[in-house]
Amino acid sequence: MSSLTSTSTTTGARAAGTGRLPQLFKGMAWLVWRQHRAAFWTVLGASALAVAYIVFQRSQVYIGGYSTTSTGLRLVPILLGVFLGAPLFAGDLENGTARLVAAQSVSRTRWLTTKLALTSVVVVVSTVALSAAFGWWFDLYQSEVTAAEWIFEYNFNTTGPVPVALALLSVLGGAAIGLVLRRTLAAMAVTLAFTVAVQLVWSHLLLSLGNVLTLTTSKGVTAEYPAQVLPTGAYRTGGASYITGDGKLLGIGTCADAQTERATELCLRKADVVGWSIDYLPMSQMTGMQWFGASILLALTAAVTAFLFLWGGKRPV
Amino acid sequence: MHAGESAIEAHALGMRYRRGWALKDCSFRLPAGRICGLVGPNGAGKTTLLSIAARVLEPTQGTLSVFGAAPGSADSGRTAFLAQDKPLFRRFTVAETLRLGRELNPGWDQRTAEDVVRAGDVPLDARIGSLSGGLRSRVALALALGKRPDLLLLDEPMADLDPVARQEVMGTLLADTAERGTTLLMSTHVLAELENVCDYLVVLSGGEVRLAGDVEELLSVHTVVTGAKEGEDLPASLAQHSLVESRVSGRQFTALIRSEGPAAGRWETDSPNLEELLIAYLRSPGAAPLITPTAQARAYDTRTVAA
Repeated sequence: MSSLTSTSTTTGARAAGTGRLPQLFKGMAWLVWRQHRAAFWTVLGASALAVAYIVFQRSQVYIGGYSTTSTGLRLVPILLGVFLGAPLFAGDLENGTARLVAAQSVSRTRWLTTKLALTSVVVVVSTVALSAAFGWWFDLYQSEVTAAEWIFEYNFNTTGPVPVALALLSVLGGAAIGLVLRRTLAAMAVTLAFTVAVQLVWSHLLLSLGNVLTLTTSKGVTAEYPAQVLPTGAYRTGGASYITGDGKLLGIGTCADAQTERATELCLRKADVVGWSIDYLPMSQMTGMQWFGASILLALTAAVTAFLFLWGGKRPV
Repeated sequence: MHAGESAIEAHALGMRYRRGWALKDCSFRLPAGRICGLVGPNGAGKTTLLSIAARVLEPTQGTLSVFGAAPGSADSGRTAFLAQDKPLFRRFTVAETLRLGRELNPGWDQRTAEDVVRAGDVPLDARIGSLSGGLRSRVALALALGKRPDLLLLDEPMADLDPVARQEVMGTLLADTAERGTTLLMSTHVLAELENVCDYLVVLSGGEVRLAGDVEELLSVHTVVTGAKEGEDLPASLAQHSLVESRVSGRQFTALIRSEGPAAGRWETDSPNLEELLIAYLRSPGAAPLITPTAQARAYDTRTVAA
C-alpha cells in the first residue's frame, strides 16, 4: 500500500515507535493496547515483581512475608476491578472517545470484544503467574501442623484457579458497572463495593463448596481426642460430638456435671457413649473445592459478559 | 456524477430522549454530491440527526438510510463523522491518532490525512492534549477526511476556531470534498458560514424539518416585500401568498412571502438572501414547512421497510 510507505518516509521512526509490538497488534487490538498500555504494563510489571519476590523468599525456605504477600494477593481482584475494570468503558464513555471509535469503520461488538479480550488476557496471565508462584510457596507448608489452614482465605483464595476466577469476575463486573454508569469515578466507587461484596459472599460460601465428611471412633472418648484421630490437614467444620452405641449424637456437655473422673466414666457408660463423631473437610478436597468454586465464579463472569454485550451493543455511545 | 443518487434519505425519523422528543417525524432527502448546511437554533435536533446518520445513535422511530444501504446495517466505511466536541485520545500523539484511522478504516488515505495536518503546522509527534483547540479540530478533521468518506457529517466544525483558522479549515475541507464529489452535511448556527459555501439546506427547529432543498430554489420561491401599511395591517392582496414572517416599523412593513404567482402591487419586491430566509423561518415557528421536490424522501423501498 502506497499510503503505508508514505507514512514510513514522512513520520519516520516516530510513527513506527508508537506501537511497540507492531506485528502482534493490528486494527482494534492495536488501539486497545495503545490506549490501555500504561495500565496493562503496570499490571504485568507488578505481577512479575511479586512473582520474583515469592520465588526468592521460597528459595530461602523462609516463611517471612508469607501472610503479608497473601494479603496483598487477596487484594489483587479488588484492585484490578477498580483500576482496570471500572474505567475500561466508563473512561471512553465519559470523555467521548467511545464516539470517536464508533465513527470508524468497525462494529460496536468488535470494540467490546477486543477490549474485554485483551484485558482478560492481561488479567489471566498475571493472576495465573501469581497463583502458580504462591501455590509453590504454599506447598512447603501444607504438610506442617498448621496445614488445616488450607481452608482459610489466605491460602485458599491465593492458589489454584480461585485468584484467576475472582479477578476475572471483579474486572468484568467493574467493566459492566462502568458501561452502565458512564462515569469513571462513580464506576470505581461502585466497583469497590461490588468487589468487596464478592469477597465477603465468597468467604461465606467457601465451606459449603466441599463435601463434609464425618469421622466416628469407637475407643471411647477419654482415650483419644478429636485432634489426634483426624488426618493431617483436616479442617473441623463444627464441634465434636459423642456418639452412642446405637448411633445417636450427644453434646460433649452430656456428663459435664459429674464431679469426679469415675463419675464421668459411669455417666458416659450409662449414656452408652462409645466414641467421637467429628465433621471435617479433608485437605484432599482442596483442589476439588477450588475448581468447583472457580467454576461458579466463571459462570457468573460469563453471565456478566453476556450482559456487557447485550447492554453495550444497544445503548448509544 | 451522482445524478439521482441519495446520500441520505430520512423517513419519519424520530428520536426520544428521557427529556422528550429531539426529532419528530423528520422526512427529507439529501442528494449525493451536495454541500448541505444543517441549520437550527440550539436544541433543534441537529446533533441527534447527525449522530443517527453516523450510526452512533439508533432512532426511536423511522429510518435513515445512507446511500441506499439498509438502515441499521453496519458502517460501510462510506461515512465519516466529526462530532461537536471532537473527541480524541488526549495521550496519543498526532501520528498515533492518524494511525488509529489507518488501523480502523480499510479505505484509509494516509497522504490526505497528513496533508490536512501539515497544512495547519501541527507537529506529528505532539500529544493531542498539548494542542490548542484549533489544532485539535484540524487533527479531528484529518481523521475524518483520511477515511475517504462519500458522506462527511460535521457537527459545528468551526465552533472553536478563530476566524483565520476557520477560513483555512473551510478551504481545506471544500477543496478536498470538491475534488472527490463528497457529500457534506454540516451543522452550524453561524449563518455567515453558509453563504457561498452551501448549495443545499436543511433547517431544523424544535425537532422538525422546516426547510429543505436546493439553496437557489429555496431563495427563488421566496420574495421580500416592502411597502406601506394599509391601516393597521398588511395589504389584503398579500394574503394570496403564504406569509412566512412580517415586521412593521412605522408606516412600513417588510414581509417574507412564499410567492404563489406574481407578487405585483404597490410595494417593492426583492429576492431574499440566505440569512434573511433562515431568520424568517426560525423566527416564525407557525409558518408551513417547505420541502422542495428534490428534498422529498422517496416512496418507501420494500427492502428498507423490512429491515
